[in-house]
Amino acid sequence: MHGFHGRLLAIDLDSGQSSYRDLEESRLRGFLGGIGLGTSLLYDYAPPGVEPFSPANPLIFASAPLVGTGVTTTAKFAVITKSPLTGFIADSLSSSHFALELKRVGVDGLVITGKAASMVYVFIHDEKVEIRAAEHLRGRSPREAEALLRSELNAPTARVAAIGKAGENRVRFATISNEGRHAGRGGVGAVMGAKNLKAIALCGDQEISVAHPKEVEAIAESLRRHSLGSLTDKYRSIGTVANLAVFNRLGTLPTRNFQQATFDDAEALSGESLTENSFSRRHGCASCTIQCERLFKSLAGEEQRLEYETLFALGPLCGINDPEVVLQAAHLCDLYGLDTISTGGTLAWAMECNERGLLPEAQKLGLRFGHADSLFRILRMIAEREGLGALLAEGSRRAALETGSDSSYWAMHVKGLELPGYEPRSLKTMALGLAVSPRGACHNRSGAYEADFSGEVDRLRADRGRGALVAASEDFAAVLDSLVICKFLRKCFTDFYGEAAELLSKVTGWNCSKEELKRTGARIHTLKKLFNIREGWQPQDDWLPEKVLSETLPTGVARGVGLTTEELREMIQSYYQARQWDENGLIPEPKLRELGIPTAPRGGKQCQVMKPAGC
Amino acid sequence: MDEPNLQGNQPIADATAVVLAGGKSSRMGKPKALLLFDNEPLIAHIVGALKHGFGEVVVVAAPGQELPSLPVKLVRDEVPYQGPVGGIYYGLKAAGSEFSFVTSCDVAFLSPPLILHLISRISNYDVVVPYWQERFQPLHAVYRRSVLPLLRVQLERGELRPVYLFDKVRTCTIGEDAIRRFDPEGLSFFNMNTPTDYEEAVKRWQALNGWNAAGNDSVQCTVELFGVARLLAQTKEVVLSLPEGATLARVYSALAEKLPVLANRVIAPDGRSLLSGYACNVNGLEFVRVPTAKVNSGDKIFIISADAGG
Repeated sequence: MHGFHGRLLAIDLDSGQSSYRDLEESRLRGFLGGIGLGTSLLYDYAPPGVEPFSPANPLIFASAPLVGTGVTTTAKFAVITKSPLTGFIADSLSSSHFALELKRVGVDGLVITGKAASMVYVFIHDEKVEIRAAEHLRGRSPREAEALLRSELNAPTARVAAIGKAGENRVRFATISNEGRHAGRGGVGAVMGAKNLKAIALCGDQEISVAHPKEVEAIAESLRRHSLGSLTDKYRSIGTVANLAVFNRLGTLPTRNFQQATFDDAEALSGESLTENSFSRRHGCASCTIQCERLFKSLAGEEQRLEYETLFALGPLCGINDPEVVLQAAHLCDLYGLDTISTGGTLAWAMECNERGLLPEAQKLGLRFGHADSLFRILRMIAEREGLGALLAEGSRRAALETGSDSSYWAMHVKGLELPGYEPRSLKTMALGLAVSPRGACHNRSGAYEADFSGEVDRLRADRGRGALVAASEDFAAVLDSLVICKFLRKCFTDFYGEAAELLSKVTGWNCSKEELKRTGARIHTLKKLFNIREGWQPQDDWLPEKVLSETLPTGVARGVGLTTEELREMIQSYYQARQWDENGLIPEPKLRELGIPTAPRGGKQCQVMKPAGC
Repeated sequence: MDEPNLQGNQPIADATAVVLAGGKSSRMGKPKALLLFDNEPLIAHIVGALKHGFGEVVVVAAPGQELPSLPVKLVRDEVPYQGPVGGIYYGLKAAGSEFSFVTSCDVAFLSPPLILHLISRISNYDVVVPYWQERFQPLHAVYRRSVLPLLRVQLERGELRPVYLFDKVRTCTIGEDAIRRFDPEGLSFFNMNTPTDYEEAVKRWQALNGWNAAGNDSVQCTVELFGVARLLAQTKEVVLSLPEGATLARVYSALAEKLPVLANRVIAPDGRSLLSGYACNVNGLEFVRVPTAKVNSGDKIFIISADAGG
């Protein structure tokens, strides 16, 4: 088999046993790798209705066919589990050397179940799987754990993914971190913590087989060259922090818990200002020519990685206007292993509740918009689940339900996942994308905002044409996330499906057509939805926060713009129609058969093992 | 695929531009290459546009054809009037590069972003040819030098249509959707065959550049720069005074004149459009992709990255 190893490694932390299991070629062709393969494995390995922190909830690491082929931006891996934040699928990506090493240990995926009696780490090397004590790593940051493990194992080239305090303490939006990057959204780190698994260390030396090496190298060379063009200039020259000033000017920068979509002090936090005043160096993932990462230097001289979502969530969303504070808060989130979007979203909810007298504990701490003093303290309290931190560690949805007093109105989430830095009222296609995404309010599993920013649609008006745009964007993202190719390379293709199918064919030896790849994207996305349905999804889960649907934007170029429940309902119906789902968002059996998915769950019934047919 | 990055004023080192000038101009009634366009002979106008992006420009003329002095490598058809295949053949033969962008001397609206895009696709192909309005556009295409023997055979057989070549080699067809990303109206393929075409082209050129007989700069607009453009220009905004009826193309050329650092990095080498990595939003409300859009006094024009998100 080319492009894959054709097997996974199952590790049971209850028994300490592990075994290699074959992966059928039909599954790999039907779901590729990364998010697709992970979704397929989750569907099969997670018992229906499993509690996310239960030992039975599988924590899955999935590699992908393009990993290790030398194609730029493809050093990525996926982490998939049932989310403790949403109760639905959590599918996160992270990147760089750990991704390459996962492929080099000779598997396409790890499926980890069970719970160790005490804190452990897993060391995979030379076809061996060792489960070793990790109590001495408890409380350590992911970076510290990584350094200590390399030293302890006398393996300087080992690659490590680890959790911080937040994961250990089951903060529902904890990350898994490797080399300073994070599988960030949905609380995958909390599931790892619930298994008493501190880290995974990998040392591999297995070759990655490619069917047509010369052709793959030619395509890789072409992509490398084109990845240095005008369309990636933003990422190469400034990084994603460039979004902040533009979003502010376009009235799409969520500020003070979505009270408005412009921030008076945006200039101080803009990517342009940060680049001029605090730039330290440019960095990037392994096997990437774009190198979008930017490290900025704080006044204390410490380097901190920063990208747009972190900047928005810990800055304008919390009313913070001091880049030093944002840099320090981002540093703490990295240290504890906290998803910065959910952290900022949950803090902003607490700040708003405090302003409205709904959260006395927040008042005691002085947790208010724009006030930095309490910010650093509350981050530690969340990671350690101390005092108010224990409430906030549950995420905004659960914290609001516990707090009561209508505080749910100010909890800005979809399905429990806090909203990213895209104002839905002034980005109507994105509004729909956020509402229907299987993982909750997500800007990565679809790029619905792209239609809004392209001029192809009127971003300030809702219409029934958006359903097809969102569905196409989701399928496109599903293919990118499963091959895996970084989204920042997406515009460097003219005919993405055709070119990607050719690349996949040259890597695997399959004769994959663009039509097959399109169908694969739809299949992967549909299976995510099917998983959610099995786990209790209801039509009301595809919705936006009430606040977004009740208030118009008060400032900026989009002043006076809102989004009504009728508009959202119409767009959702157009989305279901585009997907050929029924009016309740359920998937008719003929549609499942068309995509090669054998059976559908109804009334909570378990689905059969997934084996896509007719690829 | 994305186009190669044109940093500063550096030309594309590994590509040649070939301009075919040796046609009969029978329907025009006079030599097309010498038609006055933008105050210069049309051939000089086209060569001038191509010189921005190519290190080498080859002009293929008919034996004895009169041409103005041009900064190009001039070659003559060995056998006159063999149609486009003959011109392409002699042009590629004279070119010093592995591949060449081939065009004719009667297209005034070349789009550098589109040309760069075509070149960016040649890696795995022998020909990259646009397909616009159900027709191949062989005289706005990129050819690899290796097709020379096949062209020679075609000439020997009298197969004077370039499309015969496309079935024999690895041909990449660029469809309308892709073309529109760079050239929304397909002006790149507007060629002048008749005096009416010529008049239409002159009118379009003037409209595109916002020319106005009155000449008073009565439109005041503000260009707000974001991201790379702001960092390069070291300024957040620029106020421009433009003539009545000015278009976005005029805004871009005025901006490039005022801030030369933006030329070829943000603004395309033709000075009338943005490179594909950049986009324009007017007043925070509308993303405008067509450079012929009119600008109104008081407009705020944002120059931003074309790639939002991340």
